[in-house]
Amino acid sequence: MSEPLVRVRGLSKQFGANTVLDGIDLDVARGSVAVVLGPSGSGKSTLLRTVNHLEKPDAGFVEVDGEIIGYRREGAQLRELSDRAVTRQRSRIGMVFQQFNLFPHKTALENVLEGQLAAGVRRRAAETRGRELLDRVGLADKERSYPRQMSGGQQQRVAIARALAVEPELMLFDEPTSALDPEMVGEVLGVMKDLARTGMTMIVVTHEIGFAREVADQVVFLDDGRLVEAGPPGDVLVSPTHERARAFLSAVL
Amino acid sequence: MSVDEAVRRHTLLARDGDEQLLGARLVARRKPGQWISAALALLVVAGIVKSLVTNPRYHWDVVGAFFLRPSILDGLVLTLWLTAAVLISSYLLGIVLAVMRLSTNPVLSSVSAVYIWFFRSVPPLLQLLFWFQMASLYPQISLGIPFLEPFVTIETAHLFSGLLAAFVGLTFDIAAFAAEIIRGGLVSVEAGQSEAAKALGLSKARIFWRIVLPQAMPAIIPASGNLLIGLLKGTSIVSVIAVQDLLYSVQLIYAQNYLVIPLLLVATIWYLILVTVLSTIQFFVERYYARGKGARTGFWRLWRGQLPLVPRSSPRRDVEVI
Repeated sequence: MSEPLVRVRGLSKQFGANTVLDGIDLDVARGSVAVVLGPSGSGKSTLLRTVNHLEKPDAGFVEVDGEIIGYRREGAQLRELSDRAVTRQRSRIGMVFQQFNLFPHKTALENVLEGQLAAGVRRRAAETRGRELLDRVGLADKERSYPRQMSGGQQQRVAIARALAVEPELMLFDEPTSALDPEMVGEVLGVMKDLARTGMTMIVVTHEIGFAREVADQVVFLDDGRLVEAGPPGDVLVSPTHERARAFLSAVL
Repeated sequence: MSVDEAVRRHTLLARDGDEQLLGARLVARRKPGQWISAALALLVVAGIVKSLVTNPRYHWDVVGAFFLRPSILDGLVLTLWLTAAVLISSYLLGIVLAVMRLSTNPVLSSVSAVYIWFFRSVPPLLQLLFWFQMASLYPQISLGIPFLEPFVTIETAHLFSGLLAAFVGLTFDIAAFAAEIIRGGLVSVEAGQSEAAKALGLSKARIFWRIVLPQAMPAIIPASGNLLIGLLKGTSIVSVIAVQDLLYSVQLIYAQNYLVIPLLLVATIWYLILVTVLSTIQFFVERYYARGKGARTGFWRLWRGQLPLVPRSSPRRDVEVI
């Protein structure tokens, strides 16, 4: 097996006295999809947010494509990188949020342009790519719409296009369908399945067990900040060994 | 299934008189109180207008004769550009103060808080007199590092003219209020917006100017409009230190010809015109920053909509829902 794209080692994070992540180890192979399951408050979102340095770890590290995220190794020390260097690292990692977080004062196309323009792409080229991406998520006719004029499912698809626009090598999805009406979940999962098929490396926090079963190469289960179960969906979803995972799966299935 | 069919199948209960009810015209409730209060208000307005027109001591002919006097127009121009200059410098300073106030650096945050506390507490007129007397407090201003030989030294007696005192005093005063308005606007933008921008690889400066500040503007503009109008009128305090603004130019004339009331009216009308223009500009700026927030409202439609006696032609829909 080749070197994994994402390596998480000994990752720990505390908010005050509350331990949110407790020594997480995880590998995500290039081109594979990892689905993170677990009850709310188990640290799933924090794990994801540490991968692009929206949260700083208290111990351990995250490595993407051989580069430690947010830090530079200096002898026995890990020194935090400058804002500029962190910004550069983030531009190779796309992220999709539960609440979409589209920019409400910008149209769908302008939302998709923003990351490209920041990366120095010429406006003309950025627009061409932006339209391609909106077309790819099935929203070619919505380029002039503002987020508030679109349904939740449409907004989330624009958010996916926006994250893809900077050509990331890794995509993070933080409960992308949890804020959606049930009838719109399918369209967003559809776009994500297509994306997985193109060979994008993805880490997905979700409660959609069906998606995990169908798309995931690896399912990990978090409980109380610890990674208690990891493996192919056929194993983890069908015969989980950890008691908490068994209880969770029998409740959601 | 149609209503008739449902009645036939006994899933809906039919009752005598339903037909008439369905055909009845809906009549809105009458509101006599609105007409009575409107009539009373109009009576008061008519009284004021009558007195304005018939009282000869208003000297409207004198108002007309002095309205476009060059010295008054010069004062008007000074009022305008002093307002513009103070607006620009105080908002630049205000943005810096607001960002400092929100900074995680406790020193910067405290310095900003103390600045805001101090300059919101001191009356602008008092400050103006203070700056005007700067020469007696600090005869010289030196630029350099404390306790070392200064780089530059300026005599303050030549520095602080009345106009510069006015500019500095008003800028420091308005900046304190602007900082609070801007801070309120910045805080109102959801944290998720900066996070999404960070995740896209936008730099801090880019996030501030392109993502956060534009979204803070709808919260900043209305309060800033008030502040700007207050500033425009507030510049009239410079008349105290003999700066020839609109009010002082008028005072200079009535000091000679004793036509106090008509000349004060000249200044009043000019202030009314200026504030009307500013309010109109504010309307369009607000509308620009409301983009993405649903249907745009036209100027006249909005104005008509505020009249209590005219029923709206259609129910108001502020947000387009799909």
